[in-house]
Amino acid sequence: MKKSYVSRLNLIGVSLSLASILIVLQMVRIQNSTKHQELSQWADEEYSYAIENYYPERGNIYDRWGRLLAGNEDVYEVGVMLEYVANPITIAQALDGVNQLNYKDILAAASKTYDPEKSVYAVLTDFLPSGVIDALSQIKQDYELANPYGRKEKLPSLQGVVWIPHLKRSYPENALASNILGFYSFMDRENGFGYYGVEEYYDDLLAGTPMEIFMPRNPYLLEELPDVPAGASLVLTIDREIQAMVEKKLDEAVEEHEAESGTVIVMDPRNGEILAMASQPRVNLNQYWKYEEEFEDKTPFNRAISETYEPGSVFKVLTMAAAIDAGTVDEETIFNDPGRFEYGGSIIYNWNRRGWGKQTMQGCMQHSLNVCLAWVATELGKEDFYKYLQAFGIGRRTNIDLGGEEIWPLSTPGDSDWYPIQLATNSFGQGIAMTPIQLAAAVSAVANEGKLMKPHVLKAIIQDGKQYDTSPQVLSVPIKPESAKIINNMLVESLKEESSLASVPGYSIAGKTGTAEIPVGGVYGTELTNASFVGWGPADDPQFLVYVWIEKPGSSPWGSVVAAPVFSSITQDLVMYLDIPPEDSEQTLIAKEN
Amino acid sequence: MARKSKQAYKQAPWRRQIQSIGLSLLPVVAIAVIISLYLIIGGQAAAAGLLIMNLHYEEEEILRTIANQRTQLAWITSYSQMQKRAEKMGYEVASEINMHYITIAGYQGQNAVLIAPPPGIENESALFVNKLYNQSLSNWFLETFFIASPNGIGGDS
Repeated sequence: MKKSYVSRLNLIGVSLSLASILIVLQMVRIQNSTKHQELSQWADEEYSYAIENYYPERGNIYDRWGRLLAGNEDVYEVGVMLEYVANPITIAQALDGVNQLNYKDILAAASKTYDPEKSVYAVLTDFLPSGVIDALSQIKQDYELANPYGRKEKLPSLQGVVWIPHLKRSYPENALASNILGFYSFMDRENGFGYYGVEEYYDDLLAGTPMEIFMPRNPYLLEELPDVPAGASLVLTIDREIQAMVEKKLDEAVEEHEAESGTVIVMDPRNGEILAMASQPRVNLNQYWKYEEEFEDKTPFNRAISETYEPGSVFKVLTMAAAIDAGTVDEETIFNDPGRFEYGGSIIYNWNRRGWGKQTMQGCMQHSLNVCLAWVATELGKEDFYKYLQAFGIGRRTNIDLGGEEIWPLSTPGDSDWYPIQLATNSFGQGIAMTPIQLAAAVSAVANEGKLMKPHVLKAIIQDGKQYDTSPQVLSVPIKPESAKIINNMLVESLKEESSLASVPGYSIAGKTGTAEIPVGGVYGTELTNASFVGWGPADDPQFLVYVWIEKPGSSPWGSVVAAPVFSSITQDLVMYLDIPPEDSEQTLIAKEN
Repeated sequence: MARKSKQAYKQAPWRRQIQSIGLSLLPVVAIAVIISLYLIIGGQAAAAGLLIMNLHYEEEEILRTIANQRTQLAWITSYSQMQKRAEKMGYEVASEINMHYITIAGYQGQNAVLIAPPPGIENESALFVNKLYNQSLSNWFLETFFIASPNGIGGDS
């Protein structure tokens, strides 16, 4: 009896041991099987981590005084979790008419059959403001009190309706400075992109780096989550107040002179900072999708950097500056103007088709004599003339930090499209094309003691909590400071003597008008013109340069009649914004200080 | 020849049973204590993990709220809104006739905007994190019992 008891115990022991060994062996087999690795990987992917696509907040854009021009605001995506929908009719009724939704579409979306593999969530609408969500939330709560969890099918319920917040690009100034800012296509949440202006040029910086974050579901692994920095913010050189003032005055001028369009650039010639840049048309950036209605055909988004045109007589500033710098002429040089100048098989005439007799170089500029400037250019010689133009940046991009800059290539001697007559016509801005920013930058070198500064709109970058200021860049030094001073004085005296409409009471201003015929089918002589004026001041210490271009004015073709008053009006306000006292006040202040 | 001493009495069987049960239960109790500690620490770690996750979502929400409020402020102080408000309050646009220039000693004009500190100024908030929170258990043990820390436990004061 005792023996059989022991043998039974041994049998059980052996069986249990065998079973244990088998379990261990099976465990080892499972651990090392290929299926295990697949299953383990699948489990890791499905249950260990949730992949979250994180789009960093797009960087803000500020004006030079820290006023927000482009930011981000909270909006909501509204959808339905199909598994929890209790009453699709209530959902359709509650959202009918919201954000142009219609009853039928909502009902169709909310009535979809829940399928854990294919159909879990349906988006109803997006970009709803918080006010609408607050109202929706209140309705949902009221229904929930009367019908908890939507259990009673006949009672209304918004069970299943969810809203997810996210940020949307927002432009608090609407259309103000729209030509400079460009826009971000925020309606495309996953593949949005910056178009035109600052939004395009600095798109990579503003956007930051979107990341796929593996969010662990295992709380033990949640020790540290990656920090996804927001996109860099930008501080522009633009002054919101000056920009608004310039846009207003430009719009008034275009309307008053029945012009096709207009452009104004205000910059600081000392460092190339753009203070304002206005152009027509403009678009409300919060409704950027409508821009195709405003910008018909091939209308450029920002004419100041994207539209090339023949500048006309404002270009004479560069020709005269080059000739003075090369020593070809000086302010005392006399030219006897016969009213016509034959060169390269063609005849050049003055704007009024008559001769002006003996003229100093200042007289040539004051009366804007084509014949005189053509003579000056031929005296300078083609090699030197084009060498100077290239030094002034003509024919090359200024590389201003705005998306969409265009150029017109400069034809020089030796090129297949260059003819000798072009030396004469180019001298007064005909047969040569450029953008307003190219011209403004080139002329700013004359205002800035001969130094051509790179025009730019970026003042500082804010990244990772630090502000990095940009430094001005000298692009070239086309003329000597002495030459710049001579042309500066020449243009101040010109304006004073002709009692120009561009003059600004109390301030010493240098400037030049421009009236350029617009060739139609390669023929000049139509009534269509580009009226312009470029000026800067105060002449003894230039702090601003203003370039005005009125395209195809209907009231008068002349720059002196159309563009000069706009310059004067803008400058009168500008000196107040920039705290530049009139010369007589300045003298008084200096006297008081002493 | 040495005589072997013989115990006159045996311990009571129930005592011996208790001793043997106690001895066999000792490792079980030790294991149970270790498991309990592990569970407590593990539970706390999991709670901390979940707290981190919640804080992460809260941070996201706060950042979104800040961005939204900054933009809402810009909307109500936009050029057109400020102009309307100024007109409503009876302000007029200044002209050159209204302008009077005076000299103010030491005034350098409006300062350039500084939205964030320039590079070179370190973030002081980093110093607020107590060293205790960056210390592992082993480091704490070594520093407490074997290395004399000049700042005492925790280091920072």
